[in-house]
Amino acid sequence: MERNSNDVRGLLSRMPDNTAFKQQRLPAWRSHLTAWAVLPGFFTTGAFFLGMGILLILSAKSVKEIEITYTSMCSNCAKLRENASNFYKECTCSVPFFIPEKMPGNVYMYYKLHNFYQNLRRYTISRNNRQLLGEDITNVENCAPFQRDSNGIPIAPCGAIANSMFNDTILLSYYPHSSTRINVPLLSSGITWWTDKHIKFQNPRSNNLPSAFTGTTKPPYWRKPVYQLDPENPENNGFLNNDFIVWMRVAALPTFKKLYRRIHRTGPFANGLPAGNYSFDIAYNFPVTVFKGEKGVVLSTVTWSGGSNLFLGIAYLTTGAVMWLAAFSMTAVHLKMKKRNIVSES
Amino acid sequence: MNRERDSETTIEEDSQPNDEVVPYSDDETEDELEEQEPAVEPEQNRVNREAEENREPVRKECTWQVKANDRSFHEQPQFMNTTFFCLKESKYANNAIKTYKYNAITFLPMNLFEQFKRAANFYFLVLLILQAIPQISTLAWYTTLVPLLLVLGITAIKDLVDDVARHRMDKEINNRTCEVIKDGRFKTVKWKEVQVGDVIRLKKNDFIPADILLLSSSEPNSLCYVETAELDGETNLKFKMSLDVTDRYLQKESALAAFDGFVECEEPNNRLDKFTGTLFWRNSSYPLDSDKILLRGCVIRNTDFCHGLIVFAGADTKIMKNSGKTRFKRTKIDYLMNYMVYTIFVVLILLSAGLAIGHAYWEAQVGNYSWYLYDGQDNSPSYRGFLNFWGYIIVLNTMVPISLYVSVEVIRLGQSYFINWDLQMYYPEKDTPAKARTTTLNEQLGQIHYIFSDKTGTLTQNIMTFKKCCINGQIYGDNRDASQHQHSRMDEVDFSWNTFADGKLLFYDHYLIEQIRSGKEPEVREFFFLLAICHTVMVDRTDGQINYQAASPDEGALVTAARNFGFAFLARTQNTITISEMGIERTYNVLALLDFNSDRKRMSVIVRTPEGHIRLYCKGADTVIYERLHPMNPTKQETQDALDVFANETLRTLCLCYKEIDENEFAEWYKKFVAASLALTNRDQALDKVYEEIEKDLILLGATAIEDKLQDGVPETISKLAKADIKIWVLTGDKKETAENIGFACELLTEETTICYGEDINALLQTRRENQKNRGGVYAKFAPVMNEPFFPTGGNRALIITGSWLNEILLEKKTKRSKILKLKFPRTEEERRIRTESRRRLDANKEQQQKNFVDLACECSAVICCRVTPKQKAMVVDLVKKYKKAITLAIGDGANDVNMIKTAHIGVGISGQEGMQAVMSSDYSFAQFRYLQRLLLVHGRWSYIRMCKFLRYFFYKNFAFTLAHFWYSFFNGYSAQTVYEDWFITLYNVLYSSLPVLLVGLLDQDVSDKLSLRFPSLYEVGQKDLLFNYKKFFISLFHGVLTSMILFFIPLGAYLQTMGQDGEAPSDYQSFAVTVASALVITVNFQIGLDTSYWTFVNAFSIFGSIALYFGIMFDFHSAGIHVLFPSAFQFTGTAPNALRQPYLWLTIILAVAVCLLPIIALRFLCMTIWPSESDKIQKNRKKYKAEEQWKRRQNVFRRGVSSRRSAYAFSHQRGYADLIASGRSICKKRAPLDAIIAEGTAEYRRTIDS
Repeated sequence: MERNSNDVRGLLSRMPDNTAFKQQRLPAWRSHLTAWAVLPGFFTTGAFFLGMGILLILSAKSVKEIEITYTSMCSNCAKLRENASNFYKECTCSVPFFIPEKMPGNVYMYYKLHNFYQNLRRYTISRNNRQLLGEDITNVENCAPFQRDSNGIPIAPCGAIANSMFNDTILLSYYPHSSTRINVPLLSSGITWWTDKHIKFQNPRSNNLPSAFTGTTKPPYWRKPVYQLDPENPENNGFLNNDFIVWMRVAALPTFKKLYRRIHRTGPFANGLPAGNYSFDIAYNFPVTVFKGEKGVVLSTVTWSGGSNLFLGIAYLTTGAVMWLAAFSMTAVHLKMKKRNIVSES
Repeated sequence: MNRERDSETTIEEDSQPNDEVVPYSDDETEDELEEQEPAVEPEQNRVNREAEENREPVRKECTWQVKANDRSFHEQPQFMNTTFFCLKESKYANNAIKTYKYNAITFLPMNLFEQFKRAANFYFLVLLILQAIPQISTLAWYTTLVPLLLVLGITAIKDLVDDVARHRMDKEINNRTCEVIKDGRFKTVKWKEVQVGDVIRLKKNDFIPADILLLSSSEPNSLCYVETAELDGETNLKFKMSLDVTDRYLQKESALAAFDGFVECEEPNNRLDKFTGTLFWRNSSYPLDSDKILLRGCVIRNTDFCHGLIVFAGADTKIMKNSGKTRFKRTKIDYLMNYMVYTIFVVLILLSAGLAIGHAYWEAQVGNYSWYLYDGQDNSPSYRGFLNFWGYIIVLNTMVPISLYVSVEVIRLGQSYFINWDLQMYYPEKDTPAKARTTTLNEQLGQIHYIFSDKTGTLTQNIMTFKKCCINGQIYGDNRDASQHQHSRMDEVDFSWNTFADGKLLFYDHYLIEQIRSGKEPEVREFFFLLAICHTVMVDRTDGQINYQAASPDEGALVTAARNFGFAFLARTQNTITISEMGIERTYNVLALLDFNSDRKRMSVIVRTPEGHIRLYCKGADTVIYERLHPMNPTKQETQDALDVFANETLRTLCLCYKEIDENEFAEWYKKFVAASLALTNRDQALDKVYEEIEKDLILLGATAIEDKLQDGVPETISKLAKADIKIWVLTGDKKETAENIGFACELLTEETTICYGEDINALLQTRRENQKNRGGVYAKFAPVMNEPFFPTGGNRALIITGSWLNEILLEKKTKRSKILKLKFPRTEEERRIRTESRRRLDANKEQQQKNFVDLACECSAVICCRVTPKQKAMVVDLVKKYKKAITLAIGDGANDVNMIKTAHIGVGISGQEGMQAVMSSDYSFAQFRYLQRLLLVHGRWSYIRMCKFLRYFFYKNFAFTLAHFWYSFFNGYSAQTVYEDWFITLYNVLYSSLPVLLVGLLDQDVSDKLSLRFPSLYEVGQKDLLFNYKKFFISLFHGVLTSMILFFIPLGAYLQTMGQDGEAPSDYQSFAVTVASALVITVNFQIGLDTSYWTFVNAFSIFGSIALYFGIMFDFHSAGIHVLFPSAFQFTGTAPNALRQPYLWLTIILAVAVCLLPIIALRFLCMTIWPSESDKIQKNRKKYKAEEQWKRRQNVFRRGVSSRRSAYAFSHQRGYADLIASGRSICKKRAPLDAIIAEGTAEYRRTIDS
């Protein structure tokens, strides 16, 4: 930044440059909150927010949603699971319910957990992404305390998240008549992000999945090893199991729902779920009552704005309304001050 | 009560202070002053000390031994000091100076050490260490390391650049050359190779490389002239003289080579005017004093060459010893900022502790029963809480903004560059741009309350020009032609008829020239003849050029004027003066030279004309001259009137007179004169008395009027600064009259001003003190502080006080020192108690008195302190600093201002006539006083506003960012889970939110520079600390807290029960993190957009660029490839594309941003409509102002018409060269000139100047 002394200007060699930047004369727009900018701005954005709020509320209202909390309905199973010694005992539970209105279009089935802290720090970091990439299956770094079993064999998948995977199975049945029962076809595909399924989770390379996982053992709370999660479908087995992938994407809040199945739109369900009697047949494996948690199933349709959450719509509506209110009062103040200024000037 | 009175009166007993004298010299150094503290010395120590003193009775301080031409002498073991284990180093420094701090090897460790000494950096180092502990590490290691490295890196680069410049400077100086005797001959060596004991030869215009004992020179009596501008700022020459013995024997090279003298003197110290030592040579000893020492930093002038012995070199030289202490100045905002950071730190600890307790509770209630959270360690909930405390300290560490300090430094640096670049503070005549020498004080420029200004060279140009004269009652100097007609057109007088004219004098009165040339009025010629003959100026003729060396610029101006009007002073010897009178050279015998001193205020010369007449010529202050005039002076009244006219035009006046002396009278007087000049005691008084006898019955010739030109724009600047509510105090060493005159000239004082002098204030203060005492009584401590004004309100008051009065009033007296010394070792406990008690009471009394004085002075609109010493200048500044808690600025140009410049919060140096000392110790420097208004009202104000905006926003943005973790902790079991991705935390402060606010800190302008100058009242925001204080700080924090709440809870509400458009993973942690982070980045960037009042394309680019950068980097970090490579560092694969595909999330982000910003817009709009600030109003009307024509500056009010305020002086307050002239030492024929050496010397000098 120092100028050379042999500058062409000779005697005035230390004269600063006369540039807009150095003389702080950069062309600029001097922002100033004038009434002409602020008031119309508030009115138009207010209008936008009001409109958006109404739109959001309407679309949220159009969503059909059924939520059933089954912890209390299956209280005997819940009781059974409170005791760890009953680990291998089966317990099933059937929850009948009624859909009053037809659920058109795509219907999604979620499981919902209450009071389950998947976002607890030491829980969220207890996983090993390198292992899940399938590259180094014995890499159990960062997975404390579920790194190795008592014999020192590495656990695959390791870590607290994988270990505590939700393992209830839920089947949906439809009763068109009191005697007939149709199992609603459920799809387990398409419930994960493409990036998760194709990048973050990969089975180790091998033509035979069980052999790929040799030298590792199952997580202690699992009933079966990872390569038996879905033996029929190799695309849904091992680390690639959709339920596993969904579980591994931890929830932000202690009450959350995770996508479990999609309704396969065939036969009577081609246009969604018809109104009528249904039941969930649940294999109750996942203990929640110990930590005062609850489990539930949710059936829902979706719209462009997602599910049936009224929060955003209401928030938009209120914001818009408050803005208009503010705009009106600001106009009033502005006019009053202007009048006063004119009076004082004259 | 009585005793207290007694102790006070001992101090107040002195006679009335003398307005004319400078109170006492500043010779005591700060060390000495510190020593005065009455130390309580243990008995044993005292005994030891006394014993020591007895053993070494005298001259114990002369331990510095130098042997000429003997380098090995100084390497003897007894001169070695152990520096490092067994490494020994000579106590004699070599002449290489070292101002740099680092070299290639030490740079990294030393710089890091320096940086970690700063609390903020150390804090982040501790955090880094905490993060390395796995149990409590809650953030990835890089979140703190990357910003810290960046911060350290930027600072290190800055330090490196500074140090490289210092290296270069040192190298340049160390490689200058001089001539030193080596192997019996003078050889050219570099400065850095010069050592103590070397014999050196210096030529004309050489810089002196070390402190040197003068041995001999080319001048008679081995006189040597030096210019000490670098040391004390005085441009007039000083002379040094060697010992007779060295003068006699040490002229030849061979003799110098054989010189084996031995010098014993005091150890190196910083006292420029003190030196004691002894030279031992040829079996005799010669005392040495400071008159024989040439100091490093001075320049040899008027002396062809000189020889010297190096006594102190390099770091031991007096100038280097003096430059040691540079005080590190910090701004008010710095202090405020530090306290705020501490506040935040406390908040951080409280929050962490609260959350840790929450976690312990949660673990006990929920965590312990959650089987899925089992972590294999049976830690108790409270222990987990304890670990989480540290975890939260780490997570919430960004509340304390890591890049705050480095950003502040960057902004200040940028602002300093803007000051350096400002064309409107560039002075083309001297090619001097303004320079911010300290880059850390800029915003303080916007908060100045008091300006302390030097007069000479600061308000005035310190160039004296002959302006007018009154000869025989007739005023000359107005603009008129040869036939006495007034002309409105300025028509310069042509001096070409005069061969001696220097062509620099501008004069417009052709009639005067006509009068001189025609010789019609003999008084006119006599007048200029007097100017040519009655002075103590030295002349130097080289190449036909005449150069005058005057002790004061006034005298120089007069002699130069005479020369231009045809009476050129050509040469002088001990007892003759040669003058060219209208082309005819005549030589006069000087019979006596009656020199100037501050009591006499006049000087006379008695000469014998070639015709044989004896005449006395005298010039002096009108008051003194008028007392000594012959009663029958016809032009007395006319001259008196002329003097009034001159004084009203603020010209410096002087009366000229003469008288004829007959032979007998002179002979008689001369006897007395000789007797008096040989008197051994009280010679000065005796001489004064004798002078008095002859200087009487004078005949008035006329009066001269010299203009001490004010710098351009001084009155305007002062009135503008006054409008900005800045109080201006003038502190000057000049006399009261001068100072007062200048006060009027620069409009500090006006016709309406009531002026109070020392006596008046003293009376006022006495009354006040009495009142305070009476009211206080026994309960003095509990009495309410009285704040009633000293003066009735209204009315314009000014204070003019002299240094002596200042001492009197502030109870700063020399007598006190002896008292303290007496107090030093009290014998008994009782005595000691009484003494400390009385001392304490004295101190309290003094403090109260000082406070009263400052209160009083601050009630006046202007304060002028004259006849003050540099130390007093600093003291006055310090008083205001201490009792008013206001920001002060000192401006000056000479070495006598250095003290004050260093004391004030901000020191400004005028790079002008005098040396560079003031500039070197200043924080800002420029060439003209008038630039001060631009520096303060434009740059200072902008800097302040920018810095405040920057700080407010910075605290806001960090709170908005960090506190989201706090809200989130209520939903994640207080587990120190972060809301954001680690990479986002790493880069937020560095990339996503830093550039726009930096640019605001650098470029923002609320109103343009023109409007800032036009409305000085805009400056008051800074003085009143309106834009950044604890209130604003807490508002910023509150704003941040609210923003973080909105940014967290709106996504939370939206997420609580939702699902994606395609039914997929609706509410996972990673999408949530991305949503909150995106909303945050957009909000804070738009917020700074709202705060920006000067939108250049750079601002727009940076704001939208930051947002774009955020999205760009996020999409990169969330891409597939980077996850496969680093699966544990980049875990958010696919989150951005998957989450941001959802319109639902975008709507959430828009809502959050809108809810954050819209209320701010509404609030600001309302504030501006209902309570518009000054700057808002001006901004609103700026188009109107632009259309208006340029503001008309106020007409100067020069007329005062009060004749009593005349100043009459034309001498500086130091003696002239009369002694020297009379002794004849400088006037003999020169010895053989060394032409070659001179030529070489000048060439070298040119080179130094050019380079």
